[in-house]
Amino acid sequence: MNTAARAPVVRAKPKAAKGIATYLRRYWTLYLLLALPLAYFAIFKYTPIANILIAFKQYNMTKSVWHMQWAKNNGWEFFIKAFSNRDFLYALRNTITLNMLDLVVGFPAPILLALLLNELPFKAFKRVTQTVAYMPHFLSWIIISQLALQLFAPTNGLVNMALRNLGFGTIPFLNDSAHWVWTYVFLGIWQSVGWNTIIYLAAITGINPELYEAASVDGAGRFRKIFHVTLPGLKPTIVVLLILSLGRILGSDFDRPYALTNKIVNDVSNVIATFVYTSGIKSMQFSLATAVGLFQSVVCVIFLLGANTIAERLGERGLM
Amino acid sequence: MKKFLALFLAVMMTATLFSFAASAETADSALLAEAGLEVGPDGAYRFIETRKITVEIFDRGLDNGKTSAYDNKWTQWIHDSVLAKHNIDVEYQPVDRWTEVDQLNNLLAAGDAPDVCVTYDYSTIQNYAKMGGVTDLAEYVDKYASVLPSLWGWLGESNIYWDKDPATGSIWALEAKLAVNTRINTFVRQDWLEKLGIAEPTTLEEFEAMLRSFKDNAELLLGDEADKMVPFSLSQDVGWRDDHLAAAFIPETITDKDIYVYGFDDRHLMFPGYKEAVRKLNEWYNEGLIWPDFALYGDGDTTEDNMFKAGYVGSMIHNWDLPYRDGDNGITGNLHKLVGPDANYVAVTAFQNEAGLYRKFLSAPIDRKVFLTGANDEPLASLLYLDFISNADTVKFLQVGEEGKTHKVLEDGTIQNISGQEGSDPEWIQNSLNNIDYTITINGLNLGGDIELTLKSIATGYAGVDAALIAKAYDASLLDGRIGKHVAVGEVEAEVGMSNPLAEKRDVMLCNAIIAKPEDFDNVWDSAWADYLASGAQAIIDGRLAAWEAVYGEATMLP
Repeated sequence: MNTAARAPVVRAKPKAAKGIATYLRRYWTLYLLLALPLAYFAIFKYTPIANILIAFKQYNMTKSVWHMQWAKNNGWEFFIKAFSNRDFLYALRNTITLNMLDLVVGFPAPILLALLLNELPFKAFKRVTQTVAYMPHFLSWIIISQLALQLFAPTNGLVNMALRNLGFGTIPFLNDSAHWVWTYVFLGIWQSVGWNTIIYLAAITGINPELYEAASVDGAGRFRKIFHVTLPGLKPTIVVLLILSLGRILGSDFDRPYALTNKIVNDVSNVIATFVYTSGIKSMQFSLATAVGLFQSVVCVIFLLGANTIAERLGERGLM
Repeated sequence: MKKFLALFLAVMMTATLFSFAASAETADSALLAEAGLEVGPDGAYRFIETRKITVEIFDRGLDNGKTSAYDNKWTQWIHDSVLAKHNIDVEYQPVDRWTEVDQLNNLLAAGDAPDVCVTYDYSTIQNYAKMGGVTDLAEYVDKYASVLPSLWGWLGESNIYWDKDPATGSIWALEAKLAVNTRINTFVRQDWLEKLGIAEPTTLEEFEAMLRSFKDNAELLLGDEADKMVPFSLSQDVGWRDDHLAAAFIPETITDKDIYVYGFDDRHLMFPGYKEAVRKLNEWYNEGLIWPDFALYGDGDTTEDNMFKAGYVGSMIHNWDLPYRDGDNGITGNLHKLVGPDANYVAVTAFQNEAGLYRKFLSAPIDRKVFLTGANDEPLASLLYLDFISNADTVKFLQVGEEGKTHKVLEDGTIQNISGQEGSDPEWIQNSLNNIDYTITINGLNLGGDIELTLKSIATGYAGVDAALIAKAYDASLLDGRIGKHVAVGEVEAEVGMSNPLAEKRDVMLCNAIIAKPEDFDNVWDSAWADYLASGAQAIIDGRLAAWEAVYGEATMLP
């Protein structure tokens, strides 16, 4: 990281080919390091792009993608099929709902936590809390879903058993559609909040301490300092992360809804990723799966660009 | 005179034998030469040059003392025997049993699938056949019939031609034969019945009364753990777990045509009368007779299994022998340890249909589907391998093994399977029940046609379980069963790719209908049903109806 940051400072003046050669000789290790990630993107991200064509063709495993037959309706057969499929429309609705909730409730959560942690005077406590808070990030959703069952199942779940014994009755955390949505959102926050906080804490560290001193001299209290120093300092980071989140509004995790769902709440838990899995991949409808995936990506890109444009109009730096 | 007669008979017999042998050989010699075969010293057809084939094998993991699925005493025995008999060098390729369809898909798509594949999912085969990824067996099975006596002898025309397309004549797969058609049973805790002084239920009313009695006497039956009481257990796979109950609500007069037309869903969801069976479950649920968390746990979750083992569950409908499996680690084994030696599940027949029969809808006598991949360049060697595997002696050896190593012979001749138990040879452990994973053309114990001996042997094959319980379960599972028939109308276009999404919808619909408030039941069911039909089921019904009428016309019953 440090070497990489220093590199542009040296700035080998490209006077001639000799200059470039010296430059490369000096920094070849950095380019070598870059080679692996580049190869990764070339092999796993760019090469398969040709296979997007499958969305417009009749999938056939024995032929190459160029030789497969075109789908009906000028190649749009599978898009028409998807949009006339009720399950896909439900999945689309659910994807947007769940992601919007995640955005509205989940996006501010790490900012709040970062602000709170930043205000802690007792540094050891802060470090421990921070570590504990980001631990769940390393748990797979399969494990979390099993934990959720152990805790929230109506008869055998620990939380519900405790509630019953205290005389409150059971709460259908997992077996009622409305409750399930909130359980889903809450578990998402619990899993990711600590990890997402790290970026904000790093950004806070980068804020010039003189600003705080100046604010104190002006008589600002803690809240004033948060509102007038910390938050404005965080604004660029928040905007970039918000743009990225908006880009994911139609994208969906597969493992989170797939692991947490059950047959009762299917009407709210079936999202595009799970639809692609059951109706596309598992049923060997590869063209349908690709068509839906392509649609999803295109919409995501539109959202991403839209959010970026708006941010730039509002005077932020944006992504590009 | 006597002497003369004896001599005459002897001469006649020898002559007949020779003429048979001779005719068989002469008729085939051209065929043999073309195929590169010769008649070996033991009379078997063997390749002059060694052929190599790969064969798929289900892998069930290594727990409980199991050995490698593809390299153990059994596979070595098969390998050596096939090499000696037919000069075929077999290599096994393992595929995980529980994700076989997904894994096979990957192998087929990557072109890495073994020469001989086996799967329970015909639609996978059909899909790849359409893309040219499967060998058409039609010409081989007929042309080489004389070389494949055991295969033809065991599967017969019915199973070999089962998947023959009526329009094109192609055969993409051979259907293994189901030797034992047991499917599902209704189980009740025998010791609870005794404690409460209730007789085994024989009607729906008695069964319901029994459930209520379990619930009302939870303290007596479970003591401190009374709140764990589950009178009737279900899982998210409601269609499987309500089978006997549902079958009782289906009209006795249902025709073969309707069974086919409304039979896309293998849980019989679309059969007339099914809704009323679910309404009954809905009543039970709202009365607190059903495990409330049933819909939350996914496939393969062990929560419910642990409740059986801990002794909290009064009754269930499940796989015909489920409580008796796995010896000490199984349900009965645990009940005996945790509750007491009398704690047993007994199979009952409690659900009569309108005609007073304990009707259940059993599978047609087919099982796994064996097919050869398109890249297979040894189709004949592959079929000869299947011939070897279908040979009665091979089957018997694989199913029961050697005495003292995998089985004991009891006084009355019953063959008791002791694989994995004390006194057996751990090297010769059977990784699957009766080595079903190696005998890919048969499912179910088959001791050469002696049905009584077979049944006794099945009944003694469960360690630590009273043989009488098994015998009872066996009978109950088959009682008044209506065996599926073969409807040969070819492929219905509307079915392609629909089995997964519709099965998912079925489960969702059944779970939600059961937990609905009684007054909402009709609403919940009707809207889910309309959605189910609109999502492809209606198109399948129409397609099947047209296909049936095209082949069978006005007929509603099959011979």
